[in-house]
Amino acid sequence: MHAFVVDLVSTLSTAGYLFIVSAGLTLVFGAMRVINLAHGSFYMYGAFLVTTLVGASSGARFWWAVPACAVAIGAVGAVVELGVMRRLYRSEHLTQLLATFGLLLIFADLALRLWGTGARTVSSPSPFQGRITIAGATFPSYDIAITVVAVLVGVGLWAMLTRTVVGWRIRAVVSDPEALAATGTNTHLLLTVVFALGAGLAGLAGAIVAPQTSIAPGIDQAIIVSAFIVTVIGGLGSIAGTALGAVLIGVAQTLGTRYAPNWASTVIYVVLIAVLAVRPWGLLGAAER
Amino acid sequence: MTVPTLKPRLLAATAVTAALALAVTACSSSAKSTSPGTTSPSASSGSPSSSAPSSGGSVTVGDSTTLSGAIAQLGQTGLDGVKMAIADLNAKGGVLGKTVKLVSADDNITPATGATEVRTMITQDHAIAMFGPVSSAVAAAQEQVTNQYSIPMFFYTSNDMGLMRGGANKYAFQFVPNTTMEPSAVADYFVKQAHGPITIATFAPDYSFGHDTVSGFIAALQRLHVNYRLVAQEFPPLSATNITSYLTAIVDSHPDYVFNAQFGSDLVNFTKQASSFGLFQKTKVIAMYDYNVLAALGSTTPAGSIGFDRAPFWAMPELGNFPQTFKAKYGDYPSEWAIMGYTAVQGWAWAVEKANSFSPSAVASALAGATVPTIRGNLTIQACDHQAEIPEYVGTIAAQPDPRYGVRLWNQPVFSAPFSDINPPCGASS
Amino acid sequence: MTTTSAGPRRALVVRSVVVPVVLVAALLLLGHTLSITNVLTLEEVLGLAVFAAATNLLLGYGGLVSFGQAAFYGSGAYLVGLSWLHHWMPFWAAFVLTPVAGGVIALAMGAIALRTRRLYFALLTLAFSELFFQLVNVRYDFTKGATGIFSVSMIPASLASPRTGYYFTAGVACVSLLILWKVTVSPFGLVLRATRENRERAEALGVSVYRHQLLAFVISGAFCSLAGALFVVWGQSTYPDLLNWTTSGQPLFMAVIGGMFAFLGPAVGALLYQFGYQYVTQHSHDWQLILGAALLLVVLFRPDGLAGVVSRQTWARLSRFARRAGRRGLPPEREPAAMETPIDGAGEAARVPGSPTP
Repeated sequence: MHAFVVDLVSTLSTAGYLFIVSAGLTLVFGAMRVINLAHGSFYMYGAFLVTTLVGASSGARFWWAVPACAVAIGAVGAVVELGVMRRLYRSEHLTQLLATFGLLLIFADLALRLWGTGARTVSSPSPFQGRITIAGATFPSYDIAITVVAVLVGVGLWAMLTRTVVGWRIRAVVSDPEALAATGTNTHLLLTVVFALGAGLAGLAGAIVAPQTSIAPGIDQAIIVSAFIVTVIGGLGSIAGTALGAVLIGVAQTLGTRYAPNWASTVIYVVLIAVLAVRPWGLLGAAER
Repeated sequence: MTVPTLKPRLLAATAVTAALALAVTACSSSAKSTSPGTTSPSASSGSPSSSAPSSGGSVTVGDSTTLSGAIAQLGQTGLDGVKMAIADLNAKGGVLGKTVKLVSADDNITPATGATEVRTMITQDHAIAMFGPVSSAVAAAQEQVTNQYSIPMFFYTSNDMGLMRGGANKYAFQFVPNTTMEPSAVADYFVKQAHGPITIATFAPDYSFGHDTVSGFIAALQRLHVNYRLVAQEFPPLSATNITSYLTAIVDSHPDYVFNAQFGSDLVNFTKQASSFGLFQKTKVIAMYDYNVLAALGSTTPAGSIGFDRAPFWAMPELGNFPQTFKAKYGDYPSEWAIMGYTAVQGWAWAVEKANSFSPSAVASALAGATVPTIRGNLTIQACDHQAEIPEYVGTIAAQPDPRYGVRLWNQPVFSAPFSDINPPCGASS
Repeated sequence: MTTTSAGPRRALVVRSVVVPVVLVAALLLLGHTLSITNVLTLEEVLGLAVFAAATNLLLGYGGLVSFGQAAFYGSGAYLVGLSWLHHWMPFWAAFVLTPVAGGVIALAMGAIALRTRRLYFALLTLAFSELFFQLVNVRYDFTKGATGIFSVSMIPASLASPRTGYYFTAGVACVSLLILWKVTVSPFGLVLRATRENRERAEALGVSVYRHQLLAFVISGAFCSLAGALFVVWGQSTYPDLLNWTTSGQPLFMAVIGGMFAFLGPAVGALLYQFGYQYVTQHSHDWQLILGAALLLVVLFRPDGLAGVVSRQTWARLSRFARRAGRRGLPPEREPAAMETPIDGAGEAARVPGSPTP
């Protein structure tokens, strides 16, 4: 029971932050059919930016800094979309991948200049500084905060996509862009908004996970691989699939480490291959031609 | 058959290849002729023949290390130490009257890149000594090259035992406590406070440094007859950010002590997450809590845990004014990597003066078994395996920030394990 | 066609005899004249050229973007490295076995991955290579984990001398490129191109697209694996990074900068990339910024690569020159203008801006 509760909570918090990062990735893919390798850079910038905004001891200020990071990184995303991505919508997937890889390298270099080479930390914000004990199992209360934020982001995205005009248009641009353009919608602006939203979510994830980890160069490349796995398992373009993928990877990681620690890091790839072999477009993704 | 559309491009590509090759040839020959201050290397070895040094001119040394990615801090601060040492040498008139130039490059933590950079530095920049990288893998690749060209290689960050090959390598020198010395020193300190039966867990990055350091620690505990029981051993991947599952396995085993062989950002990450799980309430962690890690941890710093460090500037009065000078120049106090880099350059320069020659072979011979004056005092370089007789420092993390530096460092007195206590018998290291 | 057959036959002679002879002669000459550093870089480039050309069999000819080529490259390197570490077999046996091993791995991987299309194919191959990467990392006792295997004695002493190693690599690379080129102009290669241009039509004509793609995948895997063995000859080492996704990206990048629609485009790309990368890392600590910007500029302004840049004017002039050399008269449909449309771009260009048809 004890081990189960600990595993459950750590799975949920892992799944939570993976979901927030991956949701942005899948949203951008869904609307633009672009795999953005620089998505991890937005995550890293979000994490670094929150250390700049709140310093090492965060306190309640942290809760103001997180949305600020999301907005700032979203703005960076908008600039990237206008300057680079906009020119690439008609290109091959490979061209897009290489372009975003170029962006990843540029962002990594600039991050070294902006924040240096050293590791940074942010302390957990109030009121999540302590630990919680349930059924004899103790875990960080901040894990709960991450899980809650992830759920809020998920619900918010779902509501936005299904209940608002912008959301309706985003879904329309995925299924039939020409018809949407015919209705007089500015699809260019819409795509800028989507890309900024995706970048903002990455920045939000970086900021929200910051108190739990060390923020150093290299976390951009580390997160992008995990985010891909999650998105691909869930099905590119599907928000619900991403949530499912995040939980699946969280479970695979936790169980893998507990029962086969020497093989743990391979388990998620086995899961990924198995899923794609059976359902090539991911668990909840739409089949593509 | 209407295939041959490729043909003209094939021809043109050939032409382009040939043209590029010619251009490359031209570039390389011009690079050779424009490099001042060094004699032309012989075609086969690439090493300068400088048996008769004369005043004036310059010599070049190289440092290819990691300046980007997760371990960039180790590489950058180490490089700063090397830079400062060279600047100080030049301020005193250089070495044998020649100005020392430094060429440096980022190895991108890729062995092939690091090896190529070293080769280019040796053959095109005519570097006559190399200072080592952060990663042991890059170090191994670079050492192959420096051996090939018989150029002295000074390791000051990577400390893999395998690099020294039991002293078989005439040109490699180790200015870092190696993976046997470091955990032995920690065990020597640890045994004084670990009474009675204790439980220990280990946590280390999954590569040779991690495995060697952990087994070195266990071997030292056995040597010291510590009554211990191993309750968990985890080897997470190097630079893994999501270590929750490995960590909960450690937390669940309720050890008295965790011996952790992580460093830098990985150790910061571990400590953050471990403290959020409450690990430090009942468990003490033994790890490389050096100045940079402690400064990054801030309020999460686990008081009472045990840190080890290869050169903690705050506990080395022999450094004199060096930390302040370094900070004025590079913005922060010198890391252990910076101090060891500085020391390694001093070792090279001393040997050149002693041999009265820049010749790599004379320098290598002069260093083996010699005692070199450095900023950290006199250091003897063992003749058998070229290991500098460097102590390792161990201490308990303080509850209060140090008034001088604003960072929670270690309680006084800091334990400095003398080399003779932690050094494996010469030759037994392979 | 019968009336103009003398022209194509002569052109074929030029292509299959003159070009290889000139290339080999140039490589031999360079082996003599270049400095050791450049010889070694060229040796590395030749291995990468095989890697890139083999990858381009999938990319340029089959229209398949595989992001898992590192799995073969790294497997080739590890087969040689592990054979030495565990005393399985002598170097030469391991070296000869690498293409076989690469082909077998490709067969298993391709059988599953080729069931998916386009982006999902890329991602599935990526997943396979990352699995290999992790396997090598976690089996520390067997593979030396993240440290990798380093030893000069991994290869025979005769190859350890830089120039001999270079000549050996040049020989293997030339033979490999020749075989790959033969594959691309063989009936199989033509069908492969047909599957790229119109999969449905090829299928309607009774071609098994899956089988053709699988065979291409196996051939590509075999030569990528051989390229990995050449890496060991060059670097006398093998380490997990050779299996990482960034390594998979390298041959794709080389094919893009060199031009994926010319057979030697990827090889030229390898040359440019490797010398460029080395120059930049050697001369600037901000190599990521420079490389990233260069990459961005290439794909934004020259998505068809160097071959595309040159094709407009120079290529036309060169081909006129070549035609005269090979005695005038290529049939009109082989005029340079006719080959300028990048085949994959044809369908793409028709799209509305911002309309992301997959």
